[in-house]
Amino acid sequence: MNTNLKISNVTKIYPGCVANDNVSLEFNSGKIYALLGENGAGKSTLVKILSGVIIPDEGKIYLNENNLKLNSPLDAKKNDIGMVFQHFNLFETLSVFENLIIDSDEQRESLREKIDTIMKKYNFSIDLDIPVLNLSAGQKQKVEIIRCLIRSPKVLIMDEPTSVLTEQETSELFLSLKKFSEEGILIIYITHKLKEVMQLCDEVAVMRKGKLISVSEIKNENIESLANKMVGQNLKTIKKKKAKTSSDKLIKITNLNFTSEDPFETNLMDINFSVNRGECLGIAGISGNGQSELFQVLSGEIISEKDSIEFNNNYIGDLSPQERREYLMAFSPEDRLEQAAIPQMKIFENVALNNFKSSNFFNNGLINENKIKEHSKKIISDFNVNTDNIELKSQFLSGGNLQKLIIGRELITSPDLLICFNPTWGLDVGAINYIHETLIKINEQNKSIILISTDTDELLKLSDKISVIHKGKLSKIMNAEEVTSEKLGILMGGAN
Amino acid sequence: MIIDINFIGLIIASIMASAVPLILASCGELITERSGVLNLGVEGMMIIGAISGFALMTVTGSLIIAIFGAMLAGVLISTIFAFLTQTLITNHVATGLALTIFGIGISAMIGKNFVGIPGKEFPVLFESLKDTIPLIGPILFGHSIVFYFAFALPFITSYFLKKTKIGLIVRAVGDSPDSASNQGINVRLVRYACILYGGAMSGLAGAYLSMIYTPQWIENMTGGRGWIALALVVFSTWNPIKILIGAMIFGGLTIIQFHMQAIGVRIPVQFLTALPYIVTIIVLVVISRDSRKIRLSTPSSLGKSFHKDN
Repeated sequence: MNTNLKISNVTKIYPGCVANDNVSLEFNSGKIYALLGENGAGKSTLVKILSGVIIPDEGKIYLNENNLKLNSPLDAKKNDIGMVFQHFNLFETLSVFENLIIDSDEQRESLREKIDTIMKKYNFSIDLDIPVLNLSAGQKQKVEIIRCLIRSPKVLIMDEPTSVLTEQETSELFLSLKKFSEEGILIIYITHKLKEVMQLCDEVAVMRKGKLISVSEIKNENIESLANKMVGQNLKTIKKKKAKTSSDKLIKITNLNFTSEDPFETNLMDINFSVNRGECLGIAGISGNGQSELFQVLSGEIISEKDSIEFNNNYIGDLSPQERREYLMAFSPEDRLEQAAIPQMKIFENVALNNFKSSNFFNNGLINENKIKEHSKKIISDFNVNTDNIELKSQFLSGGNLQKLIIGRELITSPDLLICFNPTWGLDVGAINYIHETLIKINEQNKSIILISTDTDELLKLSDKISVIHKGKLSKIMNAEEVTSEKLGILMGGAN
Repeated sequence: MIIDINFIGLIIASIMASAVPLILASCGELITERSGVLNLGVEGMMIIGAISGFALMTVTGSLIIAIFGAMLAGVLISTIFAFLTQTLITNHVATGLALTIFGIGISAMIGKNFVGIPGKEFPVLFESLKDTIPLIGPILFGHSIVFYFAFALPFITSYFLKKTKIGLIVRAVGDSPDSASNQGINVRLVRYACILYGGAMSGLAGAYLSMIYTPQWIENMTGGRGWIALALVVFSTWNPIKILIGAMIFGGLTIIQFHMQAIGVRIPVQFLTALPYIVTIIVLVVISRDSRKIRLSTPSSLGKSFHKDN
């Protein structure tokens, strides 16, 4: 049976921002639709409206000509709309089966049978009786998909599903999605990754700043045309010049181990690498394979053996982040609002935070506000932070501006080494470009970078050498020219 | 000296009796906390239950009305907590502390007229079987219905959480209220229900104290048992069976130190009185050391307010 889903004149306004501005779209089963747009374009708001999480201010939704009233996620489920969110909606401490039975009305045995049938049909293999926290991201996503399939949905919405997957897992997912589509499920695929749209989808709708920009067939589009529609301007492409080879070792990690007592964390096993001056070492991997532990060990949030980290001919493994900064290291953690900045504090206060020792900022324990403000203004103008109010609380900066501020704060002390962890995570294309340019500039000034990132394209673009982290172990260090994204994907999945 | 074997039985029975209010209040609070709500008002809800039960018994003369009235009083006062923390999104810790202070104050006020009034005898079950088996008889038989209910409760609670759908939903809400909400579970409703249930059990625990354990009203008669109940929940790592063990240790040491004081053992009284608190917590910490299990059984959202954004 054909399924027809119609979004008619949907508007959702938040204070200070129109998330969806009079959006109308129509979908039919048998095709895979892409909803494309940058972060903040309004895609997520639109799908949250479709799944009942958000109630629109205006507009209607029709499924097979029936006007749907979606006031809660339950309503969406009842109306056969299944949704897999970008951030998994799973209960980590419950078992897989408990996660699946929780919203089902079926008996245990019949549900188990049904799940087994689904898993066999689509070649999924997951142990139903272990807690979800033991699953990989790809497996967790499969659990989410199974949860939707149990209800035999008419519509399946996937929100940025590949952000946590390896290349292999991504192609498996695409195969499954194509199969679902052939079986008559209407698939809506939300993403900002152009390659995936070209690979998977039949039709594409582009959104920008809450507005629907275009709807077209994939065969009439190419990556450049879609990119321009998505960003609204022609993008310049940046390329890194090959770094001058130097053999001057700046940082050397020897036999570094970290064992965590927390079962949610990953243990680091026998990490060895070194970075030369003017070089960028990229560390790839699927999130949750020890990247955040590695970052914390390198930054000094986790203390290790004194001689496991040698920086500029000093052993610094047992020093705190503040002490490491004095040796001219700088850090940009992954979570901008939790780790890098304090959201409730003003911009200039956050600027002062990584520099307690500076006699410019503090006199005899008193804060020298004027000096800090002067310094903050310099960062804001040097690093293109789009605000002129340094009294603004940091939480009100956009992700891109906040990241520029953080990188600026770290770089203005001209450190020898910058360690950054997913620096462009969740940013729009413009900000990503700016950050990438900045990182390239650092290398050109003969300073070094350790770039821990889950974005393979970013790593290939910026790194001179690349290694892959998997389950807390580093692969061998490769020259970036010898590496392809396919090869990285295989290593990220754990193969040798 | 010949010790009557039935005397040992009686001591064990008195230990169990002193564990009853702890088991009741802890098992109630356990359900509340499993749904992610930290209610520090147990002491306050218990004392409200105690005065309500005693007052209703004196005024109406009906034990049934008194017992259920005490539970209802627990429900009512926990409704205040639920409304504040779930509807008005106030801080769990501060609200719970306020609840305890409020409970102690209002119970003392109501209780003014009931000081010195003797309680009623509460009927016991299987009295006639008490002397049929030595040692076991006094342990198993001749107790109130609340006593039997309390010792069944940890097992019922464990079964409820592990095996029933509603138990699963409670755990899910405590693990991740956002996910639960996206699954169409009414998080606020589940949490309200769990808070009210916790209130009812605390009320019952209080009523047990003032109507059965020591049938009279004394100001502040819960004497910190609510706090111990809270500690039992946390140190048992949200495991009802371990709550039973902890409550028995606490009850046991309380009774034994009384006897030791009576015999005249030369240990400072203050130390003896403190002993049950210290030992219970040490034992529970030791038996619940596995950090992985703690992580799996701790409700991840405990004490965090849940805002639903639209």
